[in-house]
This record gives sequence, C-alpha cells and structure tokens, in this order.
Amino acid sequence: MQRNPIALEPAVAADRRVVIDNVSKFYGEVLGINNVHLSIPPGITGLVGPNGSGKTTLMNLMVGLIQPTRGSIRILGVPTDRPEELFRMVGYSTQYDAFPPGLTGYEFVYSFLRIYGFGHEDADRMTWESIGRVGLTEAAERKVAGYSKGMRQRIKLAQSIAHHPWVLILDEPLNGLDPMARAEVIALFRELADAGMHVIVSSHILHEVDLISDQVVLINGGYIVAEGDIGGVRDEMEEEHPVQVLIRCDKPSLLASKVFEHDHVVEARLHEGGLLVRTRNADRFYMLLNQVVLETGLTVETVMPTDADANAIYQYLIGETS
Amino acid sequence: MAVYGRSYRRYSGETTPAWSRFLILPRYAYETVFKSKLFLIFYALCFLVPFVGLLYIYLCNNLNVLSFLQVPESELTEFFTIGKAFFYRGMWIQGAASFILVFLVGPAVVAPDLRNNGLALYLSRPFARSEYVLGKLSVLLILLSSITWVPGLLLFGFQAVQDPKWLMPHLGLAFAVFVGSWTWILFLSLLALTISAWVKWMPVARIAMAVLFFVSIGFANAINEMLDTWWGHLISAWYPMASIWISLFGMPPSDNVPPAAASWAALAVGSVLCLWLLSRRIRAYEVVR
Repeated sequence: MQRNPIALEPAVAADRRVVIDNVSKFYGEVLGINNVHLSIPPGITGLVGPNGSGKTTLMNLMVGLIQPTRGSIRILGVPTDRPEELFRMVGYSTQYDAFPPGLTGYEFVYSFLRIYGFGHEDADRMTWESIGRVGLTEAAERKVAGYSKGMRQRIKLAQSIAHHPWVLILDEPLNGLDPMARAEVIALFRELADAGMHVIVSSHILHEVDLISDQVVLINGGYIVAEGDIGGVRDEMEEEHPVQVLIRCDKPSLLASKVFEHDHVVEARLHEGGLLVRTRNADRFYMLLNQVVLETGLTVETVMPTDADANAIYQYLIGETS
Repeated sequence: MAVYGRSYRRYSGETTPAWSRFLILPRYAYETVFKSKLFLIFYALCFLVPFVGLLYIYLCNNLNVLSFLQVPESELTEFFTIGKAFFYRGMWIQGAASFILVFLVGPAVVAPDLRNNGLALYLSRPFARSEYVLGKLSVLLILLSSITWVPGLLLFGFQAVQDPKWLMPHLGLAFAVFVGSWTWILFLSLLALTISAWVKWMPVARIAMAVLFFVSIGFANAINEMLDTWWGHLISAWYPMASIWISLFGMPPSDNVPPAAASWAALAVGSVLCLWLLSRRIRAYEVVR
C-alpha cells in the first residue's frame, strides 16, 4: 500500500503560537465573534465567557470547521484552510456527546484514528495509549452508550489526544466529571502543557480555570474583553476596579489609619476581624504593608487578595455588562 | 508561566492514502446494520432471485437433467432461454428489492450524526465533507451493489462459462446490468442520504421516502391525465428508471414510460438536486437563529 509521510515538523518548529489575526465571523447577520486578535503561546489557556459569547465559534474557527468572514488564523504557522496539515496537529473535542451509535470506547478512538490515516497497528497502539492516559482501560471494550457522563468526557478527551496533536482544543471538557476524575484530567492537561503542548480549554467553572490556566481569554458578546495571565489582567484593571486585599492582624484599626493616608488606597474597612483594603496599586500597597509592619510591630496572620482570581475578573468584566 | 520542557513528541510514522479513508465509515455502519434481524432476513431474501436465476441458467444449459419430465427437448428449449428478458426481469426485481433495502437502512445513515452534533467530530479530522458524503454513500452503494449488478454480472459470467458461444452476442447485456444498476442505486442512495440528512427522525424519514416513491406515481398520472402529456412521469423515479432499463436492454418500447433521454435527464437533475441539498446540510456547525 502506498503511504504518505507526514512532513509537518518544520512549520511547527518555526512558529509555536496560535495566532488569530483580526478575525470576525458572522453567520449571515448574526455576530459570532468580532475583531479578535490573539496570540496564544504553549501552555494551558482558559477560554471563559457566558453562554453565547462566542467561545465555541472561536474554537470552531481555530480547528477550521468554519472559516472566518474576515481575518486569518494560523495554528503553529499553518492556516486553518489546510485541513490535511491542520488536523494532524490539532485535537478537538466538542462540548456535545457526539458518538456514532453502537461503538465501544476502543472502537470510538480507533475508528477516528483510522480516519486520520493511521494503519491498524499504529491505530491500535495509539488507542490503548490514549485510553490508558484517561484511565479508561478497563471500560474500553464497553459500549460508549453505557458510559457515565464523566466516562464520556474522558473518552472524548482520549480521542482528541490519541493522534498526538500539538494543539488541544477542548470545549467544556470538565463538565460532568467527578472530583477525582476532574483532578486526574487537570493533571493530564498540566502534563501535556508542561511538555510543550497548547491546551485551550473553555469552561464555566471559573475556579478551575483559575487553578489550571497559564493564561485566560475572556470573551463576551463576540468580543475579547481581556487576555493574558490572570495576575496581569487584574493589574490592568486596578484603576477601574481597585484590588481588594484582606489582612488579618492583631491591630486592624492601627493598620487602617496607617494605610488610609496613601492616595492609592481608596477604602479601608474592618471586616470579619481583619482589614479589607481596596487599592489602585497592589504592588505599592504590599510595599506599604511591609513598611507598616516593620514600623509598628504588627502581627500579621494572613494577607489575601479577595478579587484577583478569574471569578472576580469575570464578574468585573462580564458580570457587570450582562 | 510554566517552563516548557518541549519534550512532547508527535507521531512521525506514515499514514494510509487519503483516498481510502472514507471506507472507515461503512465498516462501522455495517456492524450496526447487520445487528437488525429484520434487515438480515430481508438481505438474505434478496439473494433468492439470483439463486433461482443460477438454477435456471444451469437447467438451460443442462436440459438432460430434466429428462425425467419426459418433455421433448425442443419444447424445453423454447421455455429455458437466457436472453435480455431474463436479465431485464431479474434486474427489475432486484431494483425493487434495492428500494426496500434503502427504505430500511437509508434513514439511519446520516441522521444520527446530525442529531448528535457528530459532524464536527468527523470534520475535525483530515476528512472533507465530500469524503464524509462518499463514506456514507458507500454504506448504501456497497450493500445495493451486492444485490444488483454483482449477482447480475455473476449470472452473466456463469452463463458465459456454460455456453462460451453465447458471450459475444450478448455482451451488451452485461453493460446494461452494470450501467442500469449503478444508475438506480446511485440515485436511490443519494435520495436516501438527502432525506436522512434533512429529516432527523427515522420514522418520518421513511414516510418521506415512501411518499416520494409511491405518492409521486399517482401525482405523475394525475398530471398526465389533466394536461394530456407524458412528462408528468418524470416526477416519479419509477417511470424514468423503467424507461432506462427498457432502453438499455433493448426491450420493446412502452407507451407508459417517458423517452429514455428525458428519463436520463430527470434522474441526473434529481441527483444534482440531492447533492445540492446535501451540501447545504452536511456542515460542521448549525446556525440556530
């Protein structure tokens, strides 16, 4: 049988980013996304936004299932209109339970590997390897129709990583997973990302996005409202939304009087036995806190930012507008 | 930001030719199709006529087997003749069986994928929409081939082996079996695929098929009666196909079917329409307004 060698590595080596360049997508008069500019490095990227915000459209564009109305997308240097090259480096898992009827978990992963063009032996080996990675080896010979929601999520993940992609695009992959399975899947994401893969994950579970993401992309109404690592995004919002820091110490009133003299501190109030400070410059505030502790001999138990996570950013940028 | 080890390695082996990948689809579809006992029984029955034809050909070429009937061989020769009428009738029966088979299998070919949002799953592979359609089409084409032109040509070959002198004057029959069968099964498959793509609920899809094939006969006749014309027959697939079979096998012309050229054109237009409808429906995404 004639076989085709895969020759993709030079392109991958040359450009290791997912670049979305001024992309808009309209479905007739319906806006999908508009003027999206992103340059996503390797690692775990959390794509966050409310229902209908354009997350799935953005993911469909990244995997070439739809073409942009305007702009261009390059996945590690490969345009999305070159499916033969693109789909070898991209693994995609939709948010839907889309399983051809009657297949076992093994057959589900194996058959799609055959569609990629892998021969029987390679496909068989890669199937067991990916099923093993998601912890479904024992259930592999059972029908997918009999799987629980969590098992279905995991077998979908297995089929998306089975062909050894560079870029993994996963639409709501954590939905329906129990805490143990969730922890295992997140660990797998981390393992893949640390090995140099792009793992782009959409999720509504902000707490987990916060935990797992190296960077986040917040999308709302088809527009990107923020992108970058969570700390960086939060820093950029300090003017409009001062950072809240809760300090538990032995003399909160004294601390309040000391910090309130400074311009960047916009509020200081006693809160649950501690002091809740709102500041427009978190870095300066932490310097100030160190200084006050040295000067007054305060005993500080905890210093905890209360709105520097993905959830707070989401609330400020999306919750207030929706 | 994590420090990336860049230790991840992709598969660097070789792959199978792109043209052959659509055949993965029928492979798994058959596992599902043959699980139905009803289908299995009907599929087995589809080989009854070719089997009877096989016996008939054998008897035609070995009349001495029937000597126990004590009928003069000249009378037997008159009854047992292999020619265009034998193949014409055989292909008509197998053609009708093809319709029933498509009626059973056709609505389940694409609808489950559309119902489950499964197209994104297929199309996020190096696998084009045309390959998906070809793969799904091949589910029906392979099945229908196995009961139409394949047994037809096997019977033709068997007769040629039995009587080598018969072969050359009757080569046109093989052509008629092959071309006629392909015309019919291709049209049937495209139509079934289109209905399956547009009507996701299988019972409704089956009703739609039945309406298209049977109600259209009455409709065709009504048009002909009212407008005193023949072209009304073109809206029902049976009449054009009958005309094509008659012209391919060189059977006596019938007043009840449209001209062959118009029939070819009608089926071609129907097929193009089906392809257009499929291209509108087979997409990786669905816009819900």
